[in-house]
This record gives sequence, C-alpha cells and structure tokens, in this order.
Amino acid sequence: MVDTNPFLQASVSDGSDPIGPQVTRRKPIKEQLSIFFGLLAVGLCVAFLIGNNISDNAHEHENECGSLASLNSMKPELLRPVSRGPAAGVSEKSNRFFAKVDGTFPAYPWNNSMLSWQRTAFHFQPEKNWMNDPNGPLFYKGWYHFFYQYNPNAAVWGDIVWGHAVSKDLIHWLHLPLAMVADQWYDKNGVWTGSATILHDGKIIMLYTGSTAEAVQVQNLAYPADHSDPLLIHWVKYPGNPVLVPPPGIDNKDFRDPTTAWLTSEGKWRVTIGSKINKTGIALIYDTKDFINYEMLDGLLHAVPGTGMWECVDFFPVSETEENGLDTSINGPGVKHVVKVSLDDERHDYYAIGTYLEKNGTWIPDQPEIDVGIGIRYDYGIFYAAKTFYDQNKKRRVLWGWIGESDSEAADTQKGWASLQSIPRTILFDQKTGTNLLQWPVEEIESLRLKRNEFNQVKVQAGSVVPLNVASATQLDIIAEFEIDKEALERATGSNVTFSCRTSGGAAERGALGPFGLLVLADERLCERTPVYFYIAKGSHGNLNTFFCNDQSRSSAASDVDKQIYGNFVPVLKDETLSLRILVDHSIIESFAQGGRTVITSRVYPTRAIYGAAKVFLFNNATEASVTASLKIWEMNSAFIRSYPRHQKF
Amino acid sequence: MKNIISFALLQIACSFTFLPVSQNSALELQGNGGNLIETTCKKTPFYNLCVSTLQSDPRGSSADVAGLARIGADKVKEKATATLGQITGLLTGAKDPKLKMALRDCVDYYNAIIKYDVPVAIEAIAKGNPKFGVQSLNDAANEADACERKFQNQPKFPISDSNKVVHDLSAVVASIVQLLL
Repeated sequence: MVDTNPFLQASVSDGSDPIGPQVTRRKPIKEQLSIFFGLLAVGLCVAFLIGNNISDNAHEHENECGSLASLNSMKPELLRPVSRGPAAGVSEKSNRFFAKVDGTFPAYPWNNSMLSWQRTAFHFQPEKNWMNDPNGPLFYKGWYHFFYQYNPNAAVWGDIVWGHAVSKDLIHWLHLPLAMVADQWYDKNGVWTGSATILHDGKIIMLYTGSTAEAVQVQNLAYPADHSDPLLIHWVKYPGNPVLVPPPGIDNKDFRDPTTAWLTSEGKWRVTIGSKINKTGIALIYDTKDFINYEMLDGLLHAVPGTGMWECVDFFPVSETEENGLDTSINGPGVKHVVKVSLDDERHDYYAIGTYLEKNGTWIPDQPEIDVGIGIRYDYGIFYAAKTFYDQNKKRRVLWGWIGESDSEAADTQKGWASLQSIPRTILFDQKTGTNLLQWPVEEIESLRLKRNEFNQVKVQAGSVVPLNVASATQLDIIAEFEIDKEALERATGSNVTFSCRTSGGAAERGALGPFGLLVLADERLCERTPVYFYIAKGSHGNLNTFFCNDQSRSSAASDVDKQIYGNFVPVLKDETLSLRILVDHSIIESFAQGGRTVITSRVYPTRAIYGAAKVFLFNNATEASVTASLKIWEMNSAFIRSYPRHQKF
Repeated sequence: MKNIISFALLQIACSFTFLPVSQNSALELQGNGGNLIETTCKKTPFYNLCVSTLQSDPRGSSADVAGLARIGADKVKEKATATLGQITGLLTGAKDPKLKMALRDCVDYYNAIIKYDVPVAIEAIAKGNPKFGVQSLNDAANEADACERKFQNQPKFPISDSNKVVHDLSAVVASIVQLLL
C-alpha cells in the first residue's frame, strides 16, 4: 500500500510552521510575504495534484492486481524446475481482498500487438476470416483431410463455403483451395455442414446440407472429381441434387447436418439427420443403397423433449473393452453406441451412451436421466458442432470441435479473423465410470514439445501462490497431478450447500478443500490470470464431490470479453489422484481433468499477460488443506500451419 | 305505449347490431399482426420499445415472427446509422483530444454494428440459422455498451439517448430471433 500522505503532510506541516523571524523593514516584508505565500500556494497545489495521482494509481492497482483473495504472492521464492525441495510459499503480509470485476473498467483499447498475439501457434485456423463447423473429416491415401465452414469475405458468419486443409499427422496442416462454393441453386444460400462416408471400394462420398435459393434446407451428394488425387482438391456435386428434401411435418429450416453413414445388417447404408418437432429435438433416419435414393424409416433414431433443434447429430460405436476406436459400421457384443447432439438453443454439445437397436433403427440411452441433451457435455466451455470420424490409419475415433471467439465482433473484424478448431481428440469409452467418454489430445501433439520443465512434489500451503520458472508461457503442454492433505479431507466439515463453478466466486472463493490448481496466462503481479482448478466440496454425509473449473473473471483487464466461470462436476474414483492436462496456446486454453473425463475449453484475451510477460503459477486458495503437486510443463513449438507449398493455380 | 315499446326494441336491436361491428372494426385495425407483435414483444426485455418499433413499420401487422425479427434488425440498422451520423458530426466539431478518442472508438463500435452485426443477423434469419443472429444482436448491444463506457471519464455522454435506443433495441431483436431457434 503506497503511502500518499507524506507529500501532503510535508507541505501542510511546512505551511503550518511559524514563519521566520520578523524583519524590520515593512514594505519588503509585505513583498516577501506575498512571494512566500504565493510559492507556498503553488507548492500546495502541485503536491495535492501529485498526491491525488498517486492515490488514484494505488487505488486502481488495488482493484486490479495483487493476489487472489486472502492469498499473498509477495516475493515467494521463484520455483525452478527439478525442485530442490518444497517451495517456500510464504505468507507475510495481511490478506488483500478485492471485488469481482463488474465491467466498470473502460472497454480496452485493443492495439495490434495485443490482437496479433491472440493468433494461435498450433491450433487449426485459416489464414484469415471466419470459420465454424468442422466438416467431412477423413483419412485417405496417407493424408488426413479437414473441411470446414468458412466465410471467404469477412471475420463474421456469412457467405458460407467449404474450406479444406490436409495433414500427415493431424497437427501440421496445409491449406488447400476451397473444396465447394455456393454455385448451385440448391446451395446458393450456403454450403453447410456435412460428413464423409468411405465406401466398400475405398471411394469417398460426401453428404452435406445446402441452403437453397429459397432458403430451404436440403441434403446434397458430392464426391471427389479424381479419386487418384491424394489431395482431393476438386469436388463434383451430383447433378441430380438435392437427394433429400425436408419430409412432411418437418419445417424447411429444421433439416440439416447429415452424418457419416453406417451399414445395416441388410447391407444398406443408414444415415441420420437432426431436426425438431415443436421443442422436441429429434434424429430422423434414412436407409439408402446408392446415396441417391432414400427411404425414411417410420421411427426416429431418438428424440428428447424440451431440447430444441438438434444440429450436427453424430452417431458412432465405442468398444466397452478395447482401447481403440471402431469403424462407424461396427455393431455387436462389447459395443455401445453414442448419440451426440449440438443444441441450437444453448450452443452446447451433449452426448449419451446407449444401445443401438439395428432392426428398427432406434437407440435407447443406458441412463435416461442423463439422456442426450440433458446429461453430459463434451466440453464445459466453448465447444460446438463437434464431429468424429474413424481414423482407419491408427484405429482410433477422433473428435473435432469448433471453438468460437468470446470477444466482441468489433475486435474480430479488427484482427481480421474469428474461430479455431480444438486440437483433435481421441474418444474412448470410460470403462471406470461407464457413463463418460474420455477425450484426449491426439498423441501427435507431443511432437511439438520442446523444452521440458519438471517440478516434483511441490508442497503448496493453504493460501499460497507459487511461481513456476518456465521461460515462455504462452505455448504450453502441462501435465499435473495433485495430492490433497488427507487429514484435512477427513477433518473438513460437510454441508448441504451445492457448488457450481458457474455461480461460484471463482478461484477467489475459498473453501476448506479448494480451489487449487494452476494460474495460466498470468502476469507477474497477477493483474491478469486464468485459474484452471479443482474444488472439492464435502457433502453433509461426508461424501466428496470434485469440481473442475476455468475462471475467466480476471483473465483480462478488458471489459468487452467474456468473464464467466466454466466447469462441472468431475467423477473421481477412489484411489485416483487428481490429474489434469492443460494446453495453452495464446488465446485458447484446453483443459482435461481425470484423463479427459471432464473437459473445458476457454478463450482468453489478456492485455498484459502476453508475449514474455505471461507466466504460470501453482496456487492453493483453500483455507485448510495443503496440496502437493507434481508437474511436467513442456514449451510447445509452432505447427507452422500455412498454404500447401507446391500447389499450382487452378 | 306501443310506440315506446317499439322504439325501445328498435334501440336494443340497434345496439346489438352496432356493438359487434365496432368490435370487429377494432380487430380489423389490429389484424392478426397486432396480436403477434404484442405476444412477441412480451418475450423481450423492453416491451414498449418493441411494440412501438414494430408497429411503426407497415410490414409489422402482417409479419410472422421471422418477419418481425427482420423488421427489428432493419430498425437497429436505421437507428445505428443515425447515431453514427451524430457521432461523426460531433467528431468534426470536437477539440478535446480525449473526447475525440472516445468518439473515434464509438465510430468503430457502430461500424461493427452496421457493417457486421445487422447483416449477419438478417442473413441468419433469412437462411434459417438463427443462432448466429442471436449472437450478432447480442454483440450489437455490447458494442453500444462499450461506446458508453468510453465516456465514463467524460463530463457528459452526448449521444446517451440514441445509444440507449440502439442497445435496447438490439436486445429486443436478439430475444425475437431467439424465438426462432
């Protein structure tokens, strides 16, 4: 706390001191006195102004920076890798509390330095403009293909066409020309989302939604112009399009996003398309032999009342016993089926695990109380329109998800781009819980790991922050394990109060057993920081519930960015240590708890914690429990995503 | 007596004839559109602004919800364009550098509303992907907020009234588009 008083007091005390000894001559006295008082007045004014300025600054800083509530970060020992023992998480001065940011800060002037920092180093994004849904991901002739909804004209949604990129490893991407544009009456108003199916002979077909010239949503068939081109540059639209139009009873604007097809026992291909009837989300189901003629089945794959329009439906099998993915057509014992939907009403992706009844093309959830749309989300942050594909190259099921921006469109248009894709994630059935899927960044991301910083058995006392000495903290892969003080766990008194990340006070709200975790994209003085953390709540019967949260409330001094706290309950089984993985890549944070059982993706836009000023810290804001953390932090290389180099003009 | 009775009967007959007619005319004037505007506006945060804005447009009385959303979006653009004109007018006369900075930032925010937010909303409504419209119009309200915040340290906010209209109307239209989801 800066003491502003000395300046004022000094001048005041000066002013109140008796004036010097009397002077004999009268006229000069008056002059001298007036000069003296004149100077004094000026001096007082100046001192007052300086004093005010300093007190203003100190006031601002108190509100913006400093430690988490009741935490202190005054000169703790900077923790160096391969620790020489427990960290000195000291607490010296008294606690400092400040109010939650309530948006009374002036909207931040974004300068080019801040904006250009926001571009990621290893997440897929086009060179400029707007992107949304992932489309038709597939592996073919040695290349992973990725298509996406793209606006070639602006950094906002509109004029949608299909972008295209290829990669050998799902990480290093090369941009190719647009695959499909809005050049037919049946997709004039938008070449929207679709999926790929690989046929028996290895050929590929694409089914996608077109918004016609009359804004009717129809399904169209397209295929590569040249199957011998591994880059699949050119695409042909079936001349007889559309192959499907909205059936009776379905609104013209509620019929989109066809899935990858799977085989029935009769050898036909089966496809599902999301829609709604009033407020009930539904998945229509069709059989086809040639992708040109279809028969709609009488029933629905599934429906859930109150969930609204189902966009980007996905339907796929998972093995209950094996640690590999399954081709979309697989069915049989030891196999469960997942239905996933994107809820238009709330922009969140939900999934549920259940049983597929092949005969009549329906699916029943294992646990109707966590049915699709009302149960588990893929991601508790920003993650939408997700789509999986079966990677026959490495026998895994891989998930893509669209990550939008959470800043203003003014900023997006100023920086010239908007949206990212998540790092592709493998999907596995969580054998331990039986209700969750496990998502994990594809292993190829590890090829970007550069310098490794290791910290073992770091004890973080209740109410402390430990800086970690990592040279560059804007591109990181962090793997951490936490052990909480067992005595404190048992000692803590339980209560009936329910906890929710979203409505909590974030990382500043202290409980007996949490929050604790990491502060990423934090500057040295913690003016800006994004906590990624666990919070353990003890129920009145002594049961422990663990929550996993991302707190954006102080992630940036800017007021025109989202400041919510994301997160959810994460199942932690007996004898499991708390583990998390965090990918930090400039303005995106992807965080995974318990091996990917609960996942949160956030977009953050710091104004100071950027470039070299960004740091990473361990923190423990619990009131009673200490935690012991072991971490590996890798600094990550760029993926150098760029245009395909040897490409000829078409 | 007879005369009085027949006169009374005539009176009663007349009143019964005219009563429904007058009610019918009232309904005709409102049309179905009138009721739809009211029921739709009840679901928005600023009912009066919503009703007066939609009723002021000739398309209002016969529009469905998507049509009302379209009218609303057009009105947001209209108000934003007018407000932008006010801002640029103030900018030419402004001398104080801090005031100029605040006004210039507001120009950026209003350009975002006019060039991006409203056109995206109109396209999203027309093509049946309303969620992008909801997001855009919420953004427009946020841009107006951002402009107001720029004047926090200024003695006065010269476009306060029109800025509030742009903000509130954007929020209203966002709620209407939400109904299309």
